[in-house]
Amino acid sequence: MIKVEDLSVRFGQKEILKDINVEIENSKWTCLVGPNGAGKTTFLKALLGSQSYSGSITDSGAEVYKNHDRNVAFVPQHPQIPIGMSVSEYVLLGRSKRDGWGNESKKSRALVADILKLTGLFGMQNQFVSQLSGGEMQRALIARALVQEPTLILLDEPTSALDLHHQIAVLNNIELLKERGVTIVSTMHDITLAAMYAEKIVVMQEGRVLLSGTSDFVIHSPELQVAFENRISVFTLDSGRPVIVAKKDLSN
Amino acid sequence: MKKLGSEGVISPIWNWKITAVSFSLLVFVVFLAISFGPVPLEFQKIIRTLFGLPGGLTGQERTLLIDLRLPRALLAAIVGAALATSGAVYQTVFRNPLADPYLLGAAAGAGLGATIAITSAGADLYSLLPIFSFFGAILAVLVSFFISGKFFAEPNSLLLSGIAVGSFATAVQTYLQQRNSSSLRPVYSWILGELTVANWQKVIWSSTYIFIALTILITVSKQLDGLMLTDEESYSLGINPNRLRVIAVIAATLATATAVSASGLIGFVGIVVPHLVRGITHRVTNRGLLTIALVGASFLVLADLGARTLLSPAELPIGVITAFVGAPFFLVVLRKKRLVSQ
Repeated sequence: MIKVEDLSVRFGQKEILKDINVEIENSKWTCLVGPNGAGKTTFLKALLGSQSYSGSITDSGAEVYKNHDRNVAFVPQHPQIPIGMSVSEYVLLGRSKRDGWGNESKKSRALVADILKLTGLFGMQNQFVSQLSGGEMQRALIARALVQEPTLILLDEPTSALDLHHQIAVLNNIELLKERGVTIVSTMHDITLAAMYAEKIVVMQEGRVLLSGTSDFVIHSPELQVAFENRISVFTLDSGRPVIVAKKDLSN
Repeated sequence: MKKLGSEGVISPIWNWKITAVSFSLLVFVVFLAISFGPVPLEFQKIIRTLFGLPGGLTGQERTLLIDLRLPRALLAAIVGAALATSGAVYQTVFRNPLADPYLLGAAAGAGLGATIAITSAGADLYSLLPIFSFFGAILAVLVSFFISGKFFAEPNSLLLSGIAVGSFATAVQTYLQQRNSSSLRPVYSWILGELTVANWQKVIWSSTYIFIALTILITVSKQLDGLMLTDEESYSLGINPNRLRVIAVIAATLATATAVSASGLIGFVGIVVPHLVRGITHRVTNRGLLTIALVGASFLVLADLGARTLLSPAELPIGVITAFVGAPFFLVVLRKKRLVSQ
């Protein structure tokens, strides 16, 4: 369980996160949604421990900022793509924390091969990462997170640059992590997809948590409309699945 | 049919045989450099002299080997290793394949220091030239650090302030030269790089500093790969990216400043050699740093051999040889990069 209490983050005068109180359950998928500039990415960095903050974030009782032994995988929205690095080298970097930098075991290399097969990247292991398409790159990032065998994975907009087909492929790959008992926290623009995959949704606006709860509860809550300034409509399909779409703004 | 197992398909990140081969290359090249020249020395006799066996070189030939060619070849090797390694490290730290060791103002700072030494008191200070250029280089990099307060968040701001500091130092250097035109020749011959004044004293002090710097860099080399990712990713993989960047830049600057003060400005080694090694091995990992150091050493020993034999008995400045090979290579790298991004 990750307990976030009175979390605030400032960049100079600007307050990016204000008094956040949330609980993140182990082995569940929690999704942060909200408009641009709501502070979702900063929240992820704070959960990672790389962002200084006031208040408290404890993971299994230990303050995350001081605990460097945690094994947390991070999938950024805009990864830095190392020029000239092959896919297998890139994915193998994920073993660095477990094996120690530069000490990847034979077992780790075998694991990388297995994970490449699982994520559909096998056969591309000798290609340069710079040559991968958006969807393949996203899968390479998730493959790296899988070989890292983390307890927690943080994903920043894992599907934002992908078409629908690749979005589903990547989300299914993320579900592989959940099957392994990994706690997942992701930000996502698409609330419909968030509701399909995540157990819990946290709605953020201007650095605050507006509401949080089970996906079903949040989707049908009137506060969701407030967060998105009444610019969304929620429909329920025959299957019971909710669909959230943007309203056509008639005032313009 | 042999089934492809999981193992084996993913090859190890670095093959240490490459490092062993590059070490052998260095030994071979050093022997080549000490035996060639206007007075050729016999290979067997060189071995006997070096190992103190009977039947070695005597008289002038012995002096030529021990006091001239050997320190010169070793100094070239040390400087070459320092420049190639620093270049590779800067390229990783600044995520810029065209970064070179002189980028943060080290070259211009050293040039200014040397010019001050040469112009202000002539002969007296000329002997202090290495010290002046060493501190000039260190000072310029420190000023670049100081100006770019945002270094920790954005490596490129350090790069830009390095360029600004470098331009300023060069301007001051030009001004001093204009005021004192007799210094033009010695300053320019120093800028083109020279190994002619190699002696054992120089070899010992420069190898001490460079050994310390390279030991630090090779120790952290495995983790340097993490700096190719975003800071959050490298943090999640167990690295403190800010601390690692500072350690790497300080060590690479120490190596560069020492190399510059020992031999003047020798360009292109820091760009050519890392790309050459990466190109041949198809590996960008910093685990190849030791190999880059060894190949850098071999490259400069060979360049120096060319500098003193091509127009024998006259000598070409070594910077001319490295730039002659380096400039076309640099263009190829640029062209290839453009092709990749298209």
